[in-house]
Amino acid sequence: MAPALLAAVLLIATCGLVYELVAGALASYLLGDSVTQFSTVIGAYLFAMGIGSWMSRYITRSLVRQFVVVQVLIALVGGFSSTVLFLAFGWTDVFRPILYTLVIIVGTLVGLEIPLLMRILRDRFEFKDVVAHVLTFDYLGALVASVLFPTLLVPQLGLLRAAMFFGLVNGAVALWTLYLFRDAVPRRGSLATLAVVVMVLLGGGMVEGNRLLDFAESGLYADDVVYTKTTPYQRIVLTAWRDDLRLFLNSHLQFSSRDEYRYHEALVHPGLASVAARRVLILGGGDGLALREVLKYPGIEQVTLVDLDPEMPRLFSTHAELVALNHASFRDRRVRLISADAMVWLGQNSDLFDFAIVDLPDPSNFSLGKLYTSLFYRMLSRHLTPDGAFVVQSSSPLFAPQSFWCVVRTVEDAGFRASPYHVYVPSFGEWGFVLATRGGYQRPTRLPDGLRFLTAQTLEPLFEFPVDMRPVPVEVNRLHNQALVHYYEQEWRAFNR
Amino acid sequence: MARIQPLTLSRRAFLGAALIGMSCKSRRGPAGRLIDDGGARGHQLRSPIAAGERRPTERKPVVIVGGGVAGLSAAWRLRQRGFTDFVVLEMEQRAGGNARWGENEVTPFPWAAHYVPVPGPEATDLRAFFRDIGVLNGEEWSERALCFAPQERLYIHGRWQEGLEPQIGPSDRDRDQFKRFDDRMQAFRESGAFTIPSSRGRASLPDDISALDTVSMAGWMDREGFDSPYLRWWIEYGCRDDYGALMPDVSAWAGIHYHTSRQDDEPGPLTWPEGNGWIVRKLLERLAPHVETSVMVERLEPNDRGWTITADTGVWTAEQVIYAAPAFLLPHLTGGAIAIDGFDYSPWVTANLVLDRWPRSSAGEPAWDNVIFDSPGLGYVVATHQSIATDVPRTVWTYYWALAHGTPPANRAWLQQQTWETLSARILGDLRRVHRDIDDCVSRIDVLRLGHAMIRPSVGFLSRAARQRMAGAGKGLLFAHSDVSGLSLFEEAHAGGVRAADAALAAL
Repeated sequence: MAPALLAAVLLIATCGLVYELVAGALASYLLGDSVTQFSTVIGAYLFAMGIGSWMSRYITRSLVRQFVVVQVLIALVGGFSSTVLFLAFGWTDVFRPILYTLVIIVGTLVGLEIPLLMRILRDRFEFKDVVAHVLTFDYLGALVASVLFPTLLVPQLGLLRAAMFFGLVNGAVALWTLYLFRDAVPRRGSLATLAVVVMVLLGGGMVEGNRLLDFAESGLYADDVVYTKTTPYQRIVLTAWRDDLRLFLNSHLQFSSRDEYRYHEALVHPGLASVAARRVLILGGGDGLALREVLKYPGIEQVTLVDLDPEMPRLFSTHAELVALNHASFRDRRVRLISADAMVWLGQNSDLFDFAIVDLPDPSNFSLGKLYTSLFYRMLSRHLTPDGAFVVQSSSPLFAPQSFWCVVRTVEDAGFRASPYHVYVPSFGEWGFVLATRGGYQRPTRLPDGLRFLTAQTLEPLFEFPVDMRPVPVEVNRLHNQALVHYYEQEWRAFNR
Repeated sequence: MARIQPLTLSRRAFLGAALIGMSCKSRRGPAGRLIDDGGARGHQLRSPIAAGERRPTERKPVVIVGGGVAGLSAAWRLRQRGFTDFVVLEMEQRAGGNARWGENEVTPFPWAAHYVPVPGPEATDLRAFFRDIGVLNGEEWSERALCFAPQERLYIHGRWQEGLEPQIGPSDRDRDQFKRFDDRMQAFRESGAFTIPSSRGRASLPDDISALDTVSMAGWMDREGFDSPYLRWWIEYGCRDDYGALMPDVSAWAGIHYHTSRQDDEPGPLTWPEGNGWIVRKLLERLAPHVETSVMVERLEPNDRGWTITADTGVWTAEQVIYAAPAFLLPHLTGGAIAIDGFDYSPWVTANLVLDRWPRSSAGEPAWDNVIFDSPGLGYVVATHQSIATDVPRTVWTYYWALAHGTPPANRAWLQQQTWETLSARILGDLRRVHRDIDDCVSRIDVLRLGHAMIRPSVGFLSRAARQRMAGAGKGLLFAHSDVSGLSLFEEAHAGGVRAADAALAAL
């Protein structure tokens, strides 16, 4: 029995250190400044172990029973510690108090373990051997944990499951102890049941880790999450607060239903109203909102919408509130919907259009940066009729001036006359667009009826850039330099700082 | 749709990944096989031809032996100059030589040479060739062919950095040496002695530069006091990459040539998913009727009017033979009449790995060329890098490994003993140091062993008698292969082919 108990020491020591590491790593990830986080977490944890050791003197009877109770409690609190912390970060404003409370509770319980075990073993060894054996395995467990944690646990299980896994180990030690002392502990049944219940909870948590993360994530958004879906291409999250619907793709805000009309009217009408378009191409725009604006022109015969992710048009043609937002634009018979990679699609066919709307995600990585290169605009050029034109959403000329003017310069390099303009969209800030024409841009004298933002008279000032948004010297964005991705990353990093 | 990018959220996204951890997946090893490199067929040359066989005989004014880049370039030049009465004999089932390539359901991919540095303005023949195949339009290089950004990255001290010159780790002293090395290279560059193709600069070498052929790159580095381990790693990487050899095993001339023959400010190299195989494809579009594949040339003999070329499928007589096969085959083909002492070849292993998903374990976006510091391999090249798609779910990586340590004969013997299992395990082991979840990504590895992958410009190569004999062979036998230059480069092969074609036409 004694070797079995020493093995238990090894296991619970490993568990103990894992919880401490989980708390420290999580605090570092979430709050930054890992030196501070690890120092304070380790300090609080060790101090709490001291409290636990001191409290052990008040446990005088049924040592084994109390030891098992402590194990079950550690399994529960420690096992779910990372879950609780992550939820606390997303859902509450009191992450730090919860962090240190948890650390103190787990530390105290872990501090109780070893003194209790030593007293259980007291009758089986000489005192010097008890101390030597127990402490040896205790420190050995610490080594095991500190090696396993970075090499195996975090990469293979993740923080959420790693804590749960060691909760299961604590639970198993509890059951094992009960079995070892089956003759010495009365009313074992209820204790065993309790341990099993906790282990079932932990097991369920490990299986449902992804769903737990979804739930925890919903706390990261300010509003209620009403829809989430992970597609092969992106993570779609829809939030709602009163009448404000917001769409996030990979955590990046795409629109707010309160002011998207400003964005989409500005994207579509200054250009589209200036050409007599019958055939229109939309690249991106799977929300159907630019499409809604395009369909306001009676002369339109066909609109081709090319979006990579088929889930977006599906969501925006089935979800009632979203359908109301885009005026059921996907149900219009003039719409041709294509699921394809924009640049690949441009290279594969020879369809011609009078106007194209390039409404793609910002160039935040090299993959997306390809969609803003001179080659992309040259390929697009081959799809435009002689009088054809296109417009590009081009990030913010105020927050990311190099990025914005890089798009302007690249469009010019591809052989177009660029007419940049900008509007204010409250949920984004100052936002920019680049209109590309072959023969120069003539402002339209009429816009469709029923617009909420633009009139023909208010177009002119959009094309004027105040001092803080004036052109800056930039390079052309080409596939072999991806200059835009570098500008974009620098500028938004500076802005977010 | 657009826009706001709070970086705090991306940190949360990162956290999501950390919390969920890597998906646990059952481990089943990848599929794959050893690819035949033609070595087996080449070895048949050692056995004598059975006597009394009759084979069909054909007369051609010009016969090109070898359908790699040198042979095909010679053919391209002949046609360009309006001459069509020639044939290219290729041993393999497909022409291409060191520009060989493959293709699967994911992408075409290279098996060996995979890029060409942008030729400078003085490389007129090469520029004319690239104009012909549509890579150079006016003075503009095709955007599809120029390597997309990000081009190169180096994994060093547990992190990826941009570019291959080590940035993470070097001290001020190391940096001073890099600076001093750059200055030395700039001076060599300005001397005009280091050119692509090399023959132009080599035409009249000043003594101090021809002396570089008599010392090894390691010896020169020692002499110049370049002892920074980071600088030496970087220089040795260049030697392994271009010559498949370590610094002590190549001449200082060759080691310096790598750094001085190209302009600093040229845009990234020209590359294609199948590497230089793309160029071969373009050549074959123009030359296919002239190319006969699976023809094993067994004997080259002079006759009274020129040469007799005996192959396993037939016999050709020619006034001019353009020899565009590797030099090491010559003694076998000529029955020992032409000896080639002092031609060393570096053995290589290349492998193509099919990845069903990208590794998640090492942050950062993959570059075209991905190199691991202090690895025996040369890193991997991403075949889908030149894709214009934004979403590339599957990819192929070409892993390059020059067997530079030890002697070439010993390495060739070692290579012969290896199986697919031992080689693929080593390759995965190297990649695992960087991408811990590589085993979950790779579904297939095909491994190619190249016993004589490339010529080694060892110490004294330039002045070696055999080389000079071959360079100016004459008597209707013209050498086009890049082996003669000592540099296994596309540009040398192309220049050799063009030069031989011009000489053949002049002699006819």
